[in-house]
Amino acid sequence: MAMVDEPLYPIAVLIDELKNDDIQLRLNSIRRLSTIARALGEERTRKELIPFLSENSDDDDEVLLAMAEELGVFIPFVGGIEFAHVLLPPLESLCTVEETCVREKAVESLCKIGSQMKENDLVESFVPLVKRLAGGEWFAARVSACGIFHVAYQGCTDVLKTELRATYSQLCKDDMPMVRRAAASNLGKFATTVESTFLIAEIMTMFDDLTKDDQDSVRLLAVEGCAALGKLLEPQDCVARILPVIVNFSQDKSWRVRYMVANQLYELCEAVGPDCTRTDLVPAYVRLLRDNEAEVRIAAAGKVTKFCRLLNPELAIQHILPCVKELSSDSSQHVRSALASVIMGMAPILGKDSTIEHLLPIFLSLLKDEFPDVRLNIISKLDQVNQVIGIDLLSQSLLPAIVELAEDRHWRVRLAIIEYVPLLASQLGIGFFDDKLGALCMQWLQDKVYSIREAAANNLKRLAEEFGPEWAMQHLVPQVLDMVNNPHYLHRMMVLRAISLMAPVMGSEITCSKFLPVVVEASKDRVPNIKFNVAKLLQSLIPIVDQSVVDKTIRQCLVDLSEDPDVDVRYFANQALNSIDGSTAAQS
Amino acid sequence: MFKQFLSKLPRKSSKSDSGELNRSSSGPVSSPVQRSGTSGGGSGPVRSNSGKRMSSAVFPASVVAGIEPLVPFKDVPSSEKLNLFVSKVSLCCVTFDFSDPGKNSIEKDVKRQTLLELLDFVASGSVKFTEPAILAMCRMCAVNLFRVFPPNYRSSSGGENDDDEPMFDPAWPHLQIVYDLLLKFITSPCLDAKVAKKYLDHAFIVRLLDLFDSEDPRERECLKTILHRVYGKFMVHRPFVRKSMSNIFYRFVFETEKHSGIAELLEIFGSIVSGFALPLKEEHKIFLWRVLIPLHKPKSVGNYFQQLSYCITQFIDKEPKLGSVVIKGLLKFWPITNSQKEVMFLGEVEEIVEAMSVMEFQKIMVPLFLRIACCVTSSHFQVSERALFLWNNDQIVNLIGHNRQAILPIMFTALEKNAQNHWNQSVLNLTLNVRKMFCEMDEALFMSCHARFKEDEAKQCSAAEKRKEVWARLENAASMKPITGKTAVLVTPRATSIAC
Repeated sequence: MAMVDEPLYPIAVLIDELKNDDIQLRLNSIRRLSTIARALGEERTRKELIPFLSENSDDDDEVLLAMAEELGVFIPFVGGIEFAHVLLPPLESLCTVEETCVREKAVESLCKIGSQMKENDLVESFVPLVKRLAGGEWFAARVSACGIFHVAYQGCTDVLKTELRATYSQLCKDDMPMVRRAAASNLGKFATTVESTFLIAEIMTMFDDLTKDDQDSVRLLAVEGCAALGKLLEPQDCVARILPVIVNFSQDKSWRVRYMVANQLYELCEAVGPDCTRTDLVPAYVRLLRDNEAEVRIAAAGKVTKFCRLLNPELAIQHILPCVKELSSDSSQHVRSALASVIMGMAPILGKDSTIEHLLPIFLSLLKDEFPDVRLNIISKLDQVNQVIGIDLLSQSLLPAIVELAEDRHWRVRLAIIEYVPLLASQLGIGFFDDKLGALCMQWLQDKVYSIREAAANNLKRLAEEFGPEWAMQHLVPQVLDMVNNPHYLHRMMVLRAISLMAPVMGSEITCSKFLPVVVEASKDRVPNIKFNVAKLLQSLIPIVDQSVVDKTIRQCLVDLSEDPDVDVRYFANQALNSIDGSTAAQS
Repeated sequence: MFKQFLSKLPRKSSKSDSGELNRSSSGPVSSPVQRSGTSGGGSGPVRSNSGKRMSSAVFPASVVAGIEPLVPFKDVPSSEKLNLFVSKVSLCCVTFDFSDPGKNSIEKDVKRQTLLELLDFVASGSVKFTEPAILAMCRMCAVNLFRVFPPNYRSSSGGENDDDEPMFDPAWPHLQIVYDLLLKFITSPCLDAKVAKKYLDHAFIVRLLDLFDSEDPRERECLKTILHRVYGKFMVHRPFVRKSMSNIFYRFVFETEKHSGIAELLEIFGSIVSGFALPLKEEHKIFLWRVLIPLHKPKSVGNYFQQLSYCITQFIDKEPKLGSVVIKGLLKFWPITNSQKEVMFLGEVEEIVEAMSVMEFQKIMVPLFLRIACCVTSSHFQVSERALFLWNNDQIVNLIGHNRQAILPIMFTALEKNAQNHWNQSVLNLTLNVRKMFCEMDEALFMSCHARFKEDEAKQCSAAEKRKEVWARLENAASMKPITGKTAVLVTPRATSIAC
């Protein structure tokens, strides 16, 4: 076919592709819009491509989603910022489609474009678009509108600003809860762009309306905005307008609302200042920590450190600590788990004496918790407590918990604890480690779950790095090498795995004197899996040891293996031999 | 149109009076029960011992003042009966903590007995209810029924939700009688809807609808009957009920995908739809298009599919022209990766197409059969089988036969592909049967399709080649053009190649 002579019509290509029944092809062509635009040039992109796209909003949602995304970065292809407005019509129609994720992506792209537009372009094209969407007949348009007000508001005229605020206030009172929810969740963003004089007069009125909405779901989103709004206001306004609302919400009959409050109460502390924190927020927070609903207590417990950090220590000890004590024996394991994950952070806040007096008993009871997640959460933050109460006290109480977790019946728990061993070792020091943890590390190497054995081998390597080859030579290597005679081939294989990980750390000399003889011996194993793992291991040892050792020992061993009856063994042996030849060739 | 219609409704329901309903209480009972914060006293949080903490938020551990049984209805003269009714109803505004079965057991029984007495009284239908009686009744129902459900632990994929049993409100013994009472009350001929609408207002309805999210199927069953009767009796509230239900559906489809009562709500809607007058109002058609069809989208469509399907067939029965609209909607929301849903959709398609006129069928046959062809070649044998079963339906075969010129070319490739290499024997047999059916229908057409198929197969590769080449030339052309020098652009050449 004389393709090359045919003139190229980029738009025609696109139209053709978009007509295809295969959605993948349509998607691919949309993903390459920028190519088409560049081939067309800026002017034709503006005059032909974009209008075509505006009319083509009747495709599968997946294609529309891709289009919404591509258009967000399309400014360069239409000729720069002064032409950005041509991109608005197709995005406007995408803002009104049914599918939520398409709309959200279109809103995101509109924000991207709008935030780059010049002021008079904003006024001329972006603001009218916002108004059209906000007055849209179908709720999808109005929901989308809520997400772009903050872009339109910045840098437009005062008259328009007044109008925009009024329109937003209408959206907050919309007939459809969907729209009110969108207005509530975007109010914080919009408020950041609004001048402070209007914040109190208008934005706070909208906020008040939303917080009194008869739909639980709307009020919920209004609470989410509390902290953001509070930070924008002057402290005295925050106290007057936000504080009563949040205190009221903290006693809402819906647990979802209380949950939201629990999650962000601490953010308000700074906004209202220390006095109101003491008189209003602390009691509210204490109530939440003692809520009837476990979900609320989980949220509140998770924020306990952040909250205390904003209080003075006496206040924390007097009011919060008693609750923390209660929570440490809460009936819900998730509450205890949430508490355990943050409670370590309280140690530096309370100082050494209070920590020992008040926190340590709580740590210890959480360390003995029947639920493994709780114990893990404590152990994973140990470094923080160590700094405060010192290693001796810690190690006495810690070890039983670690031993217990090391033998937990859930392998994921065992895995988690193995991952902390190097950290623990570095904190506890060599002496402590030798006595207690050494045996455990070897035990894991023979765990019945592969992931644990694998992690155990890796752990040995990290320990060798931490304490140095000499120590490892004494405390790790003999025990590992002993295992090579284990009757179970999977355990023998673990020895090989451990060697391959440790060899680079231990260096050439130990590798040659200790590891290599064992490996060579293992090449005569009766199980083929062991043998081809020997081949792989030998290959990995090549760069570590001297060339002479390679030539003398490794090559011979591999040559033997390459004549093995098992095809896999021969394959890996030959691979290793090839890599020897490769490295020799590179050297010569 | 829709908007216009909505704007005629009051923008917001009058919240204030219902708020009062719950807040103030008068009558012989000492005090209404309110949320008394979270803990009863200084003794720390009230926690139930087991993991199933249910009604703690609903029944705070407040001290219940002793409630005394009142005289039975038969012992007072007729003129006093309504006053006694109000007193008894007010007595039932006290709520109890059911998480502890031993607590207040005497008072609980008094309340139960009183509720049963009230039930009898309302059922006897002897006296017309006055405004104070209606107010008291609505308030009592609000206090007892309108509550916030506890967190749903099953949906949050925690580790310990092995038991898949829904959580039941321990207060059900009381709740059930209150529901029965409300139902009897609403359906009672002694209740004048014109008077009652003031108290059974929008806010009451919204909160009643909120309860449909209950996990307890018994509760949803009660609610279903009650709402149905409310809809029947309170003509003025009908548009509002429909609108509020739509809002629940919208939220479910577009935001949360979580709601326990969609099936029940749709069941009510099914009977609402069957009562629509002809010709259908535009508003109702919009509901079909904007709400019912998108309801096919959520993952959990299986839970309410039957009811949904019923609503849709009701619509099409009323106005057969909607058939093609529905099919277009189904194609828009067609599940691509969920085989179970796909089978359901095929079932619904069959039901709709079966009842279609030739004219309607022709409007949608091309996109529909493109989709069916995909289903036929599905590697999931149930999907493929279900699609091929369409040819067991005489009515559908008849429609296909009339339009074979359009349909066979679409189906041919799919059938041929299946015949060559579908793994499932039963699919294979069904495919061969359908192919035979087409062949017998019109041999000449079949042969020409066969020839086209061979030709296409040969061309397919070159088409892919050609596509690749066109794009390569486009890339080339694009790289020659400079892009605007005023803005810095990151051009990332897409490495993805076009699928052949």
